Amino acid sequence: MEALRNALDFSDFPRLDLIVAGCVAIVFIVFPLFPHSSFAMATMIQFLMFSLYGMGWNTIGGYGGQVDLGKAQYVGIGAYTTAVMLIRWDIPFWVSMPIGMFFAVIWSFIIGYPLFRLKGHYFAIATIATSLVLKDIFEVWDFVGAARGLEISPIKYHPPDFLRLIFREDVYYFYVILGFFFLGILYMNWFRKSRLGFQLRSIKDNEDVARSLGINVHWAKVKTYAIATAFVSMVGSFHACYIKSIEPEDTMSLDISILIALMAMLGGAGSLWGPVIGAGILIPIKSYLKEWLGAQAGLVGIDLIIYALIIMAISAFEPRGVWGIVEKIRRRRRD
Amino acid sequence: MAFLEVHNLTKDFGGLRANNDISFSMARGELVSLIGPNGAGKTTLFNCISGLHPVTSGRVIFNGEEITKLNAHQVARRGLARTFQVYAAAGDLNVIENVMVGCFMKTHLRSRARARATEILKDLNIDHLADYLVSELPVAAQKLVTMATAIGSDPRLLMLDEVAAGLNPNEIEGILASIRHVHDDLGITVMLIEHVMELVMKISHRVIVLDYGEKIAEGDPETIAKDPGVIKAYLGERYVREHGGQQAVGSRE
Ligand SMILES: Nc1ncnc2c1ncn2[C@@H]1O[C@H](COP(=O)(O)OP(=O)(O)OP(=O)(O)O)[C@@H](O)[C@H]1O
Ligand SMILES: [Mg+2]
Repeated sequence: MEALRNALDFSDFPRLDLIVAGCVAIVFIVFPLFPHSSFAMATMIQFLMFSLYGMGWNTIGGYGGQVDLGKAQYVGIGAYTTAVMLIRWDIPFWVSMPIGMFFAVIWSFIIGYPLFRLKGHYFAIATIATSLVLKDIFEVWDFVGAARGLEISPIKYHPPDFLRLIFREDVYYFYVILGFFFLGILYMNWFRKSRLGFQLRSIKDNEDVARSLGINVHWAKVKTYAIATAFVSMVGSFHACYIKSIEPEDTMSLDISILIALMAMLGGAGSLWGPVIGAGILIPIKSYLKEWLGAQAGLVGIDLIIYALIIMAISAFEPRGVWGIVEKIRRRRRD
Repeated sequence: MAFLEVHNLTKDFGGLRANNDISFSMARGELVSLIGPNGAGKTTLFNCISGLHPVTSGRVIFNGEEITKLNAHQVARRGLARTFQVYAAAGDLNVIENVMVGCFMKTHLRSRARARATEILKDLNIDHLADYLVSELPVAAQKLVTMATAIGSDPRLLMLDEVAAGLNPNEIEGILASIRHVHDDLGITVMLIEHVMELVMKISHRVIVLDYGEKIAEGDPETIAKDPGVIKAYLGERYVREHGGQQAVGSRE
């Protein structure tokens, strides 16, 4: 099957990239075998989750150039679907996750269809708005716990429970999300070479040209947005089982949306490794700030300042992020 | 039955009438040039035919089917491809990837799109540029890439908007050969907007002249070149005085 072959084929990258990627992969796989703090483990899991969020964002935001600042609403849909189904009906993760993805995709069609008639900044702003609206709905909706949110209590289960994804030790969560991460990379490697991937890159370049090449620009965006959404919702479901306590203010905040977009842009929007690099830089910073500086009064807002600086640096120096710099250097070497 | 028919096409931009009651038709296999001074409405006419702009009034019929109200991508899928006058691919797609976007109209398989794109690049003698970004290339090569991309969609009618603008005589020879190849060997019907008269005169079966949004003349190149109305409108009085009426290189973009 050609799709599978494309997903597994990384041969268009220079050998150096593949060696680095291979080494990083091995480090990830063996990481839990070495002594580590629970803080390091939690950061690692966050990093993998945010890499996946970033990959989802990268389809529509990076390859398609449609800046999306509302990804948190899909984290919420996934997390809530899984939590509600588990708590109320004891439905396992592996069933609730695809159902959550399905809900997320439906919601993405409902808002994506009209929103993609908007251009540029208006789209970005509209995604923020819909995300906040959904958060507000969850905050007053009793069925999903309203503002109190939901709590998954592990005592009811017998960890390690692989069906419901309830574990006592983080290492289980680590390997589950690492599996998702590798699958995510393969999917994105297929996506960037797929017909839809090419169409999006053409749309990002010039919509009129794309149209005149037979591309239904609106539909291509709606479809890709659904893919992005499914990715994010999947990790949202995982989030519910891992964190075990979800509330709208936490799970669906604007911070999350912005962090997802920012990470992907910092690493390199529209490139395979971009979101991973971005998460690799930002998540440790974020965890560190939260753990150490956040404790000192008066430094609570410092992460926002850092984000703002990063946005400025990206727009001033290299819109295509860290990976853009790497490619620029390579191009210069070649010529 | 004509291949492309345009009936009484009118296009207004607010108070400006960019195309006024234009009618013409083209047969399959023809090679027709559309000429006229800057701002005559040539590009607008292309935009209306290819579905990028809605027309104010009039009808466009392609291959026996009315396409007036279709979207640009629907028109393209019916076999009508076009290039753009001002367009430099600024994105991160390199040359072969650009051409593949065109090829993906006809196939879902990347391997097939890639093979076809490679073939087209070879055909147009730009296969050595496959891995460059389009923005890195000189203008002449960029124009060939936009042509190659359009050809990738396997069109029956190819509309080229000023592919020779800004090229030197050598490069014009090159593009002339490419257009001939597309028309003669690939069997694609071609319509081109061109200011470079030398090219128009050499290649066209027929020439249509626009001025201030109206069609002012239509005929074979020799007749058009001698038409006093055309010479006056298009080339200006000074040109007539200095050259007496035959070929010239039009200015600008
Ligand atoms: N999208 C638009 N909105 C408003 N006016 C437009 C638009 N496109 C073109 N026009 C106007 O319509 C007229 C015809 O423009 P058009 O681009 O079709 O001319 P052209 O014959 O292609 O000229 P050139 O040789 O310079 O390319 C011009 O006056 C132009 O300013
Ligand atoms: Mg024009």
